[in-house]
Amino acid sequence: MSAAASALIADDEPLLRERLRAHLARLWPELQVVGEARNGREAVELFDQHLPQVVFLDVQMPGMNGVEAARSIGRRAAVVFVTAHEQYAVQAFTQGALDYLVKPFDAERLADTVRRLQERLARPQAAERGALDTVLDGLASELKRRAGLDGTATRHLRWIKASVGSSTRLIPVEQIAFMRSDEKYTLVVWEGGEALIRKTIRELADELDPESFAQIHRSVIVNLRQVSQVDRGLNETAEVKLKNRKDVLPVSRSFVHIFRQM
Amino acid sequence: MNSMNPTASALTGEPRSLGAAFTLPRVVIALSIAVLVAAALNPVFVTPFPILLGRMLVIAMLLLLAFTLAGAWKVPGLPRWLAQVLAVALVAPLATFLVYLPSIGFLAEPMRHEGFVLGYTFITGSALVLGPLLALGALYRERDAQARSAALRFELERSTLEKQALDARLKLLHAQVEPHFLFNTLANVQALVESGSPQAGPVLRSLIEYLRAAMPRLQSDHPTLGVEAALVRAYLELMQMRMPDRLDYRIDIAPHLAEIRFPPMALLTLIENAVRHGIDPSEVGGSIVVSAHRDPADGRVHVSVADSGVGIGDSAQSGTGLANLRDRLQAFFGGDAHLDLHEETPHGVRAEIVFSDAKAGAG
Repeated sequence: MSAAASALIADDEPLLRERLRAHLARLWPELQVVGEARNGREAVELFDQHLPQVVFLDVQMPGMNGVEAARSIGRRAAVVFVTAHEQYAVQAFTQGALDYLVKPFDAERLADTVRRLQERLARPQAAERGALDTVLDGLASELKRRAGLDGTATRHLRWIKASVGSSTRLIPVEQIAFMRSDEKYTLVVWEGGEALIRKTIRELADELDPESFAQIHRSVIVNLRQVSQVDRGLNETAEVKLKNRKDVLPVSRSFVHIFRQM
Repeated sequence: MNSMNPTASALTGEPRSLGAAFTLPRVVIALSIAVLVAAALNPVFVTPFPILLGRMLVIAMLLLLAFTLAGAWKVPGLPRWLAQVLAVALVAPLATFLVYLPSIGFLAEPMRHEGFVLGYTFITGSALVLGPLLALGALYRERDAQARSAALRFELERSTLEKQALDARLKLLHAQVEPHFLFNTLANVQALVESGSPQAGPVLRSLIEYLRAAMPRLQSDHPTLGVEAALVRAYLELMQMRMPDRLDYRIDIAPHLAEIRFPPMALLTLIENAVRHGIDPSEVGGSIVVSAHRDPADGRVHVSVADSGVGIGDSAQSGTGLANLRDRLQAFFGGDAHLDLHEETPHGVRAEIVFSDAKAGAG
């Protein structure tokens, strides 16, 4: 059984791939390393090509990460996670589905893993699919949350890209005071200046976080955190004054209710 | 006179309001002095003591009222203290006359009574002497209290600023030397050492240099751009060892800028961002170019970090790192320092810090 064993190593750091390969060659000479992948996508490709029984997966890799690759590989191989983030590894391990190595690991720890893998390959595989999927789903969303790619809080527009002179400025929305429509364009006024962008007030009103930004007029969106004062006017209208600015913005009748509870 | 209550009036910066000036201590003191004067004048007067005392108390309250009103009523061109002392001096004879009115009736009458004229003179005299004196004393105390409250306010502001600076520094300390960076790097060093690679020595040297600069306790009291550049170089060398096929870098800092003051870890923060959000998520990686030059037109220094990584998505979190860095730059260089982000073509981000180092050089 172990004579025919084959493995795949996936890590974006070449020195670590080499080291793992060298130790495996010493600890498990019969194991044939059929490929080295630099990211999750390559790992899945090489796996589909060679179908090795063992896959060593670095958790944090560019593009597709190790957890996503593991989900794609599923039960078809024994997966060992390799990571500097101990908490991910422990999460996976407590479910009893996988082994893990925490970087930097020593040769004795790898020898344990090799023993465990040899035992696993020597007996028929138990059906643990359901539990494994749950663990991997949890890990994948945790990774995405950490990378700032997922979750409800991050879905809103956080950066405005505006051409200023020959370059494109990246403006964090927290710095914006207000936006006002200017024919086809929208004027963005922020701490560092003013710029015209192509998005309409309507689009911006949909994309910005309503916790921080409010449309107060057909043509105006204001950053609520920069409002210093709201003055009531005639006919159910109002005017908004901003912190550290002279601009006075109109609030039309249909938007006055925004400031009622303030 | 008794000291004013500094928390009630002076701290709010409105000591001139009527209610605040007409404090209980003032009333008590005015009344006590009236009692003393009445007792002192009693032997001279034929008037029974209770009547004399009553008159004195009324006069004292009228003088205090005059003092207070004159303080609240701003006369253009006349200092407030002078207005108050004059008011007390003017009101003294009037008030005395006023308290005599009920007992003697009409205007022409009193002048004929010698005893009255004598009494009137005594009371007016003592009011004229004591009133303005007490007014001056009250003013002196008031100014003292105001000065103390101003000092208190100043102290409060200063400690608030100090606390903010401390907070910024604490945040910085927490942000330093990410354990995963350290462990990943050590794993690479371990691989080099085990394989007997000649690269192990130089890499360890970079790691030591990085750790020395990034350890808060070991940071220099005179942080310069040159020191920061050495830190950044060590960091980038380590990252390049880890991902040789994905990271290229160049550091292009004019030698004459090495000595200018620069906040520690500021450039490193930008480099870490470029690696974490630009290079690391990209399968093909990219390059990082660090540059610093002085604009010959306005003499300001431009320090920038440009990467050719994946760039910033519209809804990528802007994070607290950049906001903290902005605060630190403001605190270090003053108001005109700023940090701007630009999109690079075809992809990537360039972060640029612009500041005047004239003030920094002097301080």
